[in-house]
Parts: sequence; C-alpha cells; structure tokens
Amino acid sequence: MTELAQAIVNGLQMGFLYALVAVGLTIIWGLMEMINFAHGEFLMLGMFGAWGLSAGLGLDPLLAIVPLGLAMFGFGVLVYRSLMRRVQGGDPFTQIFATIGLLFLLQNAVVAGFTSDYRFVGDSLLARLSGAKLRLLGITFGVPLLAAAGLALLLFLALYLLIERTEFGLALQATSEDRDAARLVGIRPQRMFAIAWGLGAALVAIAGAILVNFFAVYPQVGLQFTVLAYAIVALGGFGSILGTLLAALVVGVIQSVTVVYLPPAFKDAFVFASYLLIGLFRPQGLFGRF
Amino acid sequence: MRRLLVAMLALVSVVSGALIGHRVAPAASVSEVLIGSVLPLTGNFASLGQQYLWAAQTAEDIVNTDYADLQVPLGPGKGFPGLGGAPIKFIVRDDQSRGDQARTIVEQLISVNKVHWINGEGTSGSTSIIQPVVESAGIPLSCHPCASPTLTEKGMKWFWRTGPHDKVMVASVFSFLKEWREHGGPSDLKTVALFTCDNLFCQDNRKVAADLAPKAGFQVVLDLTTKTGATTLASEVQRLQAANADVLFLVQYTAETTVFQNDAKRAGFTPKVIATSNGAYSDETWLQAQKKTNGGSGWLGRDPTAIDLTHQRTSWKKVNEIYKKYSRGQNMGELAMREITGLLWMADVINRARSVEPAALARAARETNMGPEQLIIDYKGIKFDDHQQNTLATGVVTQIGWDGEKHTLWPWDLASKAGFKPIFPNPGWQERDSTPKPAS
Repeated sequence: MTELAQAIVNGLQMGFLYALVAVGLTIIWGLMEMINFAHGEFLMLGMFGAWGLSAGLGLDPLLAIVPLGLAMFGFGVLVYRSLMRRVQGGDPFTQIFATIGLLFLLQNAVVAGFTSDYRFVGDSLLARLSGAKLRLLGITFGVPLLAAAGLALLLFLALYLLIERTEFGLALQATSEDRDAARLVGIRPQRMFAIAWGLGAALVAIAGAILVNFFAVYPQVGLQFTVLAYAIVALGGFGSILGTLLAALVVGVIQSVTVVYLPPAFKDAFVFASYLLIGLFRPQGLFGRF
Repeated sequence: MRRLLVAMLALVSVVSGALIGHRVAPAASVSEVLIGSVLPLTGNFASLGQQYLWAAQTAEDIVNTDYADLQVPLGPGKGFPGLGGAPIKFIVRDDQSRGDQARTIVEQLISVNKVHWINGEGTSGSTSIIQPVVESAGIPLSCHPCASPTLTEKGMKWFWRTGPHDKVMVASVFSFLKEWREHGGPSDLKTVALFTCDNLFCQDNRKVAADLAPKAGFQVVLDLTTKTGATTLASEVQRLQAANADVLFLVQYTAETTVFQNDAKRAGFTPKVIATSNGAYSDETWLQAQKKTNGGSGWLGRDPTAIDLTHQRTSWKKVNEIYKKYSRGQNMGELAMREITGLLWMADVINRARSVEPAALARAARETNMGPEQLIIDYKGIKFDDHQQNTLATGVVTQIGWDGEKHTLWPWDLASKAGFKPIFPNPGWQERDSTPKPAS
C-alpha cells in the first residue's frame, strides 16, 4: 500500500512539472487554436538560457525565471509577428510546416552554437537541496521536487487568475471564440495573438528554468516533453487552464503507478490509452468545451 | 604467316600493356580517397555523432598532414604514399539519428558521391539498417564504436569492426565481479538487477548480461527495460529498491542516467555496486559534470582501454592535441579513441591496398596484422576473425574515483600498474555530498 501511495506522490510531483510545460501550449494551441510544434524548442531555449545564466553569471535558475520569462515573452511575440501572423489565415498545414521549420531552425542553431554536448546545472539552490527529504506516513517527499511542484502550482494559480479573472484574460478568450465580434468591442485580435504567443513562450521558458535542476540540458531535450504536452492539452480540454493542470497530474500518476506493477514499456502506452478512452466519452477533453 | 605472327605479337603487346596499365592505373588515377561518413549529428544521438565527427576531422588531419614524430598509421608524411600521395576526404552527412535517413544517405554516398568506403553510422541500430545497402553495393563498411555483437555475427562480407563488441566488454565486467573476491574484494555479492534502455545497443547488453550473470555466480533478481527519453524513473527506482540487488547493471544514455541519479538520490537508493556499460559512462560531458557533484564516484564500467594508463602514452597525447583543435578543447573520450583507432586502421588498409578497388581494399583489410605499438588504445593489436571482428580488441573495467577520473580495476595486471584502490561499497548520497568535489 505504501508502495502505491509513494508512486502516486511521485506521479503528482512530476505532474506539476508537466503542467508547467504544457500550459504554454494550452494558451497557444488550446486557447488561440494555433499549432506550435516548436513548443519543445521554446522549452529547450529556456533550459539553455537558465544554464547559460548560471554558468556565465552565477545566477540561480530560480532567479533566472524573471529575465528569461521577459526575454522569451519578447521572443514569442517576435515569432508571432514575423512568422505566424503571415501563415495564420492560411491552411492549417501551413502553420504546421512553419512551426516544424522553426523547430529545426532553433534546434540546429543551438547545435551549431553550443554543440550537442550535455550540460548540467550542478550548483543551484535546488541542486544543493537534492538530498533533502521529508517523510510523512512512510512516504518520502524529495524537497527540491516538492519546491518545484509548489512553484509550479503558484504560477498556475497566477495564470488562472490572469485568464479567468482579468479583463485581459477575458479579451484573450473573446478573441479565441470570435475574432470579429471581439474586434467590434474594441479588442485588437492581432495584439491578443501576439501576447498569447509571448505568454506561451514565457511560461514554457520558466518551466525550463525549473527543469534544469533535474534534467540534462541538450538541444533535443524538448522532444520528450512536447509529446506529453500535446497529450496533456488534449486530455485536459483545449484552452482550459484547470483542465491542463488536472490532466498533467493524471498523466504523472498514470506513468508512475503503471511502472510499479507492469513493465516500464507500458508507461507511455497507458498515458495515450487513457486519452483515447476519455476521448470516447468526452472528445472535448476533461474540461473542454465545444 | 609472317602477317599472322606480327598480328599475334601486336595483340600480345596490347593485352600485356593493358594488363600492366590496369595494375598501375588505380594508384595513379586516384586524386583523393573519398570516405562516406554518415553520422547522427542531430537528433537523439547527436552527442555521440559530434564526437565521431571530431574523430573523422582528426583522422583526416593526421593522414593529410605530415606529423613526422607521430607513431600512428599514416602519421608521418602527407596523404597515402601507396596512392602517390593522394589525400583522404571525408564526406560527412547527418542522418538526424534516424535509421531510414541513414539508409537514404548511404545510397546517395555510394551512387552519387562514388565514395570508396563508408564509415558509420556510429550507433548499432542504424548501422544494422545500412549494412544490407552497403553489402549489396560491394564496398567496405566499418563502424568501430558500434558494440552490438550481431553486427559482425551476421557474417557480412563487407563489414569490419576494430572495436570490441558487448560480449567482450560486458564479459569483462562480470569477469571482474567474479574474480574480485579472490583479489581482496567483497565476497557477499550474489544478486544483480539489470536496468537498460530499449534500443538495439541496450538490449544486446541486457541479453549478454542476463546470460553471463548466472555463469559468474549472480542471480538476476530484476530485469527492467525503459523507454529512451524517459522524463521520470521514480517508479523504476522504487522497484529497484524493492529488489535490493547487490549489483545494479545500468545501461542508459546520459539524459536518462541524469534522471535516474536524481530519482535515486530522492529515494535514497544505493546498491552496493553500480556497474555500467557505455552510455553515460562513455560520455565526456557526463564525466566532467560528475566532478561537481561526486555523482559518479564509485561507479564502475567497461572501457575498451585502461583510460588512466593510455593518457600517459606519447601518441595519445599528440593525437589528443589534434582532436582538441576540432572539439573546442574537449579531450578524447573512449568513444572518440575507438573511432580514431578504427579510422587510422582504415587509412592503413587503403595505403596497403595501393588501390581503391573494393576487392583490393577487402583483401588488405583481411590481411591486417597490426601491433599494439601503432595504436592509441590498449587493444592487443588488430587482426580479424572470419566475421571480420577484431579478435585483439579487449575490454577493461574502470572505476570513477573521488578525483572524478577513471581508474583501471581489471585486468589485474593493468590494475596493478594503475595502483588504484577500488571504492567499495558504492558511496551513499550523503557521503557524496559531504566529500570534497574535484571541480568545486
């Protein structure tokens, strides 16, 4: 029983990190209905940025969240204005190929600039705490992962309030639902799209700055998270911030619990099987709306 | 009659002239020797591919530049003396770590670029995909760091490997563990857990280890295979912890090894011995990173050479200086050493063949009998068996010390030369944190 409880706790902690990676995609894909296959590369840039600021300036990745978030917000806006705005009105395949092109451009630019070496942030606050543990009812909580999960939860809460409780959030949702109607009430859709891209890029870069404490940094690191992020957004319901959080926790727990009883090969298979199963009864996802 | 005699004489002279010309012509007509190099320069295995690229650039530099005092094949002199001084040229292509892409590239290298030799792909999985293409084209193919035994066991006519395969290298780990107790090591190591990734390389390691462990007196208590690219291994660590094996045999790449280390530390998982086979243990960047955390101290693994002793060789130091020109200052790791050794053997074969004709190259390759004094690595030499696997490629067991460097543990004669006292048991996480770190 303790074994199962430990697996659930491990899964929940990872789920918070997955949620942070996926929420940027929720905004760009789920809310604004634009496909971004380069989402994992935005994460990779965030991780490289955090590693660079740590190795070059000695800035802890947790403190690097602010400059990285701002820089990547600007980068997201730039990507929208220079690339995505031009393909937005066209065939969805044009968007797909534009972002796949962006994926290869970013990944290979980093390979060219930094080589494909693995890089590590060994001297951060969370890394220094890496041996620290809390024990409760026989279940172990790693302090760094617990802190990262707590931080992810705070960011989620802030984002939820921004999207659901502010005029800006309502304007974003209005643009997503009916661009022409939004324009009639004075909202500038292009501006909203640009901000959504900036917000999505900033959020995933912040996730990257947290993840560098637990993962190696290399140009292809984004891929393993992107596939999960897409499953999470679809499972949670397009455009739903709360749905993304819940779906990410479900994915984390499924991954974790599966491996305790079955060969690890089933780990991701069960994640996607759960998406298919939920899709049969709720094609719009757990919290999505049609 | 006289006219017939004259005609016959003329025919004989023409035919013999043509034959002589044919024998001499290839050496004179080769302006450069083209090596097709298909490598995973982007994608999942890019960190391996870039080391092979730097190795190819190093080999090209050595062959085409006169390093008069460098005692490796084709070190002194410029180009191939056997081919009138023709230089070597590597045509490098990136397959994005995809086997299907590697296959297409190899077809292009053979039919469009007309390369004389293919070297690659650097990973066993993709190499097994390109093998049939090269085999049907009938030109030599080599992959020196590829460790899957199946690559040579298939009996391909055109495939060569100078490096040791996993049966040799994994066997060295289990030979060490078996013999260790007679050399002052622990006598209570009885069980082993296998923890491997899911590609051809990892699975070959797993199969060899599962076969050898009982023969070395170990009971396999858990056999876990994980997907490459795992974002968490917490539950796998839970199962390993529950199995409580004395020895953890770990075959994972760098990214997954990092995930494992974090999850193991969080769970407080410390088996008595962590033995690895390639993967992160062969990755220079991972090794350097361990110096900041002591994370790898006490880990042991197989290597193709006694790293600590090899570094003292003059030829290793000189080749390493050349390598560093291309690697942005990074030292040769063992993978690069295996690759460079193989590429210089290939250059020696081409030079001895005095031709780029495939049959001549194959004959010269089969006739190889190279002594250890020409190598930058600890093989006993290079000589091939019927499957064109180097029978003199050896396995060595090393351990990462508290200084963050690898030290030789086995074979025992090399270990006594290295003079390193093994770390046992594998240090706990608290001890790793409290012990001074070499790079801090």
